[in-house]
Amino acid sequence: MTEFNIVLAGVGGQGTLLAAEILGAAAVKDGLNVRVSEIHGMAQRGGAVVSNVRMGEKVLSPTVLEGQADMLLGFEPIETLRNLKFASEKTLVIMSAEAIPPTELAAKMAKYPSPEEIIEKVHRFTENIIVVEATKLAKKAGSILTQNIVLIGVLAATGKIPVKTKSIMEALRELVPAKHLDVNVKAFKLGYEYVEKAKTKF
Amino acid sequence: MPDLRLLLQDKPGRRVLLLGNEAIARGILEAGISVVTTYPGTPASEIGDSISAIAKDAGIYMEYSTNEIVATEVAGGAANCGVRVLSAMKHVGLNVASDFVMTLAYAGVRGGYVIVTADDPECYSSQNEQDNRFYALLSNLPCLEPSDSQEAKDMTISATGISEKLELPVLLRTTTRVSHTRGPVVFGKLTKPKLKGTFIKDVKRLVMVPAHSRPKHPILLRNFAKAKEISENSPYNKLVREGKSRKFAIISSSSAYNYAVEATDLLGLDASILKLGMTHPLPEKMIGGFLKKHEKIVIIEELEPYLEMQIKAIAKDYAPNIEIYGKTGKPYFPREGELSTRILAMGLATITGKKLPIDFGKIDERHAEVVRDLPRRPPILCAGCPHRASLYVIKKVAGEKAVYSTDIGCYALGAAPPLNAGDIMTCMGASIGTAEGISKAIDEATIAIIGDSTFFHAGIPGLINAVYNNHKIVVAVLDNLATAMTGHQPHPGTGMTGMQTPSEKILIENVAKGCGVKFVKVVDPFKTKEAEATLKEALAHNGPSVIVFRAPCTLMVVRERRRKGTEIMVCKITSKCTDCMACIKLLGCPALIVEDEKVVINEALCVACGLCASICPYNAIECVKIP
Repeated sequence: MTEFNIVLAGVGGQGTLLAAEILGAAAVKDGLNVRVSEIHGMAQRGGAVVSNVRMGEKVLSPTVLEGQADMLLGFEPIETLRNLKFASEKTLVIMSAEAIPPTELAAKMAKYPSPEEIIEKVHRFTENIIVVEATKLAKKAGSILTQNIVLIGVLAATGKIPVKTKSIMEALRELVPAKHLDVNVKAFKLGYEYVEKAKTKF
Repeated sequence: MPDLRLLLQDKPGRRVLLLGNEAIARGILEAGISVVTTYPGTPASEIGDSISAIAKDAGIYMEYSTNEIVATEVAGGAANCGVRVLSAMKHVGLNVASDFVMTLAYAGVRGGYVIVTADDPECYSSQNEQDNRFYALLSNLPCLEPSDSQEAKDMTISATGISEKLELPVLLRTTTRVSHTRGPVVFGKLTKPKLKGTFIKDVKRLVMVPAHSRPKHPILLRNFAKAKEISENSPYNKLVREGKSRKFAIISSSSAYNYAVEATDLLGLDASILKLGMTHPLPEKMIGGFLKKHEKIVIIEELEPYLEMQIKAIAKDYAPNIEIYGKTGKPYFPREGELSTRILAMGLATITGKKLPIDFGKIDERHAEVVRDLPRRPPILCAGCPHRASLYVIKKVAGEKAVYSTDIGCYALGAAPPLNAGDIMTCMGASIGTAEGISKAIDEATIAIIGDSTFFHAGIPGLINAVYNNHKIVVAVLDNLATAMTGHQPHPGTGMTGMQTPSEKILIENVAKGCGVKFVKVVDPFKTKEAEATLKEALAHNGPSVIVFRAPCTLMVVRERRRKGTEIMVCKITSKCTDCMACIKLLGCPALIVEDEKVVINEALCVACGLCASICPYNAIECVKIP
């Protein structure tokens, strides 16, 4: 492996920062060099947010170059689309199916793109996509807030990331508050198990 | 966020993943720094926050000061007793602190003093993207620039040492991408902090009256010459790559260095790379020697051509015929915004004639098609945010013609539609003074909107000016009981300190009364009718008035509810709804969405603040418990 690049895209409050940190900490456990970029402050308030995780011996820049993401982890459909420039035909897109309509849409009485339109747009960049109802699985795990961990479970189950699942679980145990650990472990497992059943359509 | 007690481990050699700011906090512990002061500001906040979380265990004194100049005064005072200190602030915070820092450079320090300035290229969370390396030039203080978390920790320790050697404060300049990138950090040994020192009385050294300052200036310049020697021998100024040919060479620093290396590799460019970590004073001889060995020099740095201007001057003495490429003359790289591997690869391709291996144009084209019709998602006030209620009330009463002079904080997001409650905003505390000037120049009502922490930081002198010069303005203090935007740090009104011990709660209404304001009222922004009546009175008052809109930040309320396991309520649209869309058009709450032309509540976001229920013309919204 020369390098492995993950772009995480979502909406402020969805837990993209924690997800990115878990992946980064897991990579460090496996002895890899890593960079995890975050954006804090004003940009976080319900706005579009992007985190990058880069692993590899020579990795220096905290941000992924256009077209060079190995994985695009989309926490929300249109935020996934907004970051397709980082994808290529080699990229695996893992996308949460549930939409969070921006307030701008309500004010303008405009429409959110349909699931078919979204898939079609992703396909312009890559055929490799796993769509998961992460929020639904998070609720099943016991808290809607664990959507990020469901997605981490999906990502781990694909076996593409050069980090051991055991290391991801260890990082999760260290970074999630102890009293919410059970719910988060359950969310991870639901995401992990989902992969076998995942289809490329909604 | 890792459990910050991790930072306390005395395990040299342990390798952990840390944010640049957390790495600086670890550096504080390894350097034996015993006093840390800060005013929170993105991207610097986690330095103070990390120390606040562990200060008692580490045996360190930490405080959230009222503003950055007070933070530097407190630290500078302690440093002159011989203890090691550090102040952390965002780039614009150094503007506030600069009056003290510029003259402290004359007086000097006895204990090491590191001033962290975290710059924000791209204005991710700031009102400008000034390049604070120029403060080093202006003040003659040394400056170090880390490029990753490991260096952020190591340079905190080195800066402390340099400061003690030269008896000068040292600037440690990060950027958003250094402060907010996580990378591996190898721990060194901890040093026990020394909390007590001695104040040695020395009037000529410390009392900066003209007769004492005059001789201090040449002393500062002599120290600067010593600093130059340190820079020439600094391990942070180093040749990281030697090219096979002597044709191209790159000089770079900070985050720009990371992109520079990757862009060079992407192009397969054969070039020597000189990395500068101590960027003030520059190692003139080292750079001069490097220039002499090469034909063409490319200078790669973020924001202003700070290195480039100085290296061009060095070239005049060492290699007058060398070709230098950068931002001055014909620009190959932008002076504005954040750099990236892509931007640098494109600039380097133009300079060297190398071909880009990636067709960025094609990616852009495809991407543009995909995102063309996508709705935007700018940051907005959270569902349940009390600022939304305050700004709704203010706009409803004062109307479209009034001028709204707003300030730095979450409420600045209220300048966006549909609230449109912000017509002018510049820097911390400017809302009040700016409103005063506007009120003199127009006949319409002028309202200053300022947050609680911002009020304590820089609002009070403006308020005193309003009383003294009798400016007829309304000052709306939006008090959400925290420095919310930067991570809910405490401030003088919260009754809690950075050491996490209780203290005197300073009430904004008492401060306003103490400043001589005659009309001072406190309202609950969610009681909209009462708040509206109070604002009408204030607008009729002949002179300055202050209304404190007080309700805690909704994120704190929700966190507390979760902690206590309180039942969570949500709003519900009843059959009385006529789809008039008043709530949508007036409030812009993210929990109110429109589906098939009907208003729907997003239960995942709604926290039942009840604002929409209180303004609904048909009483068609109720707050209910989640079944």
